[in-house]
Amino acid sequence: MGERIIYWTWVPLVVIWIAGFLLFPGFIPPVSPKASAAEVADFYRQDLSRVRYSMILFNWFCVALIPILMLIAERMRAMAHRTPILRYCVIGVAGAAPIAFLTSTVFWLLAAFRPDRSPDLTLLCNDLAWITFTCGVPFLVALCLFLALAIVWDDQEQPVFPRWVAAFNVGIALAIIPAAFAGLTKSGVFAWDGFLSFWVKNLAIALWIVVMAVVLRPALEHNRSESAATV
Amino acid sequence: MTSDKSALAGPKRELWFAWYVTVAFYGLYSVIFFAVARVQPPGRPWLAPDQTVDWFADRRWGLLIGFALIFVLGGFSAVAIALITYSIRRMSVSPVFAYSYLILYAVSAVPGFMFICVAMTCGAMRPERDPVVQQWLYDLGFLSFVGTMGVFLIGSLVWMMAILLDKNGVFPTWFGYLNLCNALTEVVIAPSWIFQRGVLAYNGAIGFWVNVPVFGLYTTVFIILLRNLIQRDDLGTGPLPEPPPDVWRRARPPVEAATS
Repeated sequence: MGERIIYWTWVPLVVIWIAGFLLFPGFIPPVSPKASAAEVADFYRQDLSRVRYSMILFNWFCVALIPILMLIAERMRAMAHRTPILRYCVIGVAGAAPIAFLTSTVFWLLAAFRPDRSPDLTLLCNDLAWITFTCGVPFLVALCLFLALAIVWDDQEQPVFPRWVAAFNVGIALAIIPAAFAGLTKSGVFAWDGFLSFWVKNLAIALWIVVMAVVLRPALEHNRSESAATV
Repeated sequence: MTSDKSALAGPKRELWFAWYVTVAFYGLYSVIFFAVARVQPPGRPWLAPDQTVDWFADRRWGLLIGFALIFVLGGFSAVAIALITYSIRRMSVSPVFAYSYLILYAVSAVPGFMFICVAMTCGAMRPERDPVVQQWLYDLGFLSFVGTMGVFLIGSLVWMMAILLDKNGVFPTWFGYLNLCNALTEVVIAPSWIFQRGVLAYNGAIGFWVNVPVFGLYTTVFIILLRNLIQRDDLGTGPLPEPPPDVWRRARPPVEAATS
């Protein structure tokens, strides 16, 4: 019962994330890294309320992903592994991934707290927010790859997740990786407002949540195999 | 070494995977911090704002490329943490020790290494930024990295206590005390939040030249001991089997033959 309640939170989570995404004026289109300090300061002065409300929303609900990740970690107990190492790996990155997102909302809210601050300091907060948000993907990359390996090594007749979910997770990890290089350029597909670092990365994360939610549902009913370890 | 060859196919493949990733991760991490980004040995804490601008300019691409690689690979730090957590679960002590270790190290990743990556990337991407702001980023980078102390302090003490209480013989007692040495490095680094010069500063004789070798020794030792643990592990829950014959000692004539 409790797990089902947590499971179904993925629907409001996706709705709230999309709402926050549309509400934040800096996402459509994404604020350019080439914008001057004066332009960035103007952005916060003009759309102050939408920046604040969208980031408060993200600050509240970005960490709502953690209970859903714990559902996945709990399902990993039923995998035919000899040790809990890969489950510990997943738990190890499950906290830090949303906390990196949370940290970026703090920098955005900080920029919006005093819009009349010196434009240089607003630009600093804006840079810290965008770099943390865009490049702060190491935990998500590792999460996808840990899950992929865990699924590949789940050698039983009825594995917890279907095999293709492993390939899907590798694909998502590859789609997210370019965002890590956003600091290297202010224009093009790798820049933080670019095709790869912004659109591909964020759509990959959205796709990951939806697909993992779909494959998680039958896995919730999966009976623990006799061969699974107990440590 | 023969047991290692089929390591990733046998029943201990998860353990061997974790061990090899741990070795690769620490190796790569060292190369990136010392050779690519060149943030170790650390910069001088007393640099004036204009000097920090020069510092960023001097290693701009190294910082951007090095920390981009950490942004890709940093999450694999969780593998070493998971392996150590397993080592504590393999002991006769309460799982509380293992879970404490896991959470301490997992959540510390954000202040402990994400902040230096973000601060140095922000500094390097806009060299034209106001020098006072560049100095602030420089301080944020180094101080968050060396000054995230509690995790190593409490984490090492948790591991130490588990080792000393353990009856399964997972680690030798002396390694328990080596954890205390690692914990003490976090005590003596605290003055680097106060002093900008001298032995106690973060680039000083104690802050860097004693602490980093101690951490390096500690890491090397636990990597060797974890390998030893995996070799002996029967994947059960009771006392660990005796260590395998020592390869270096075995090269000499057997003791019985020499004495008889």
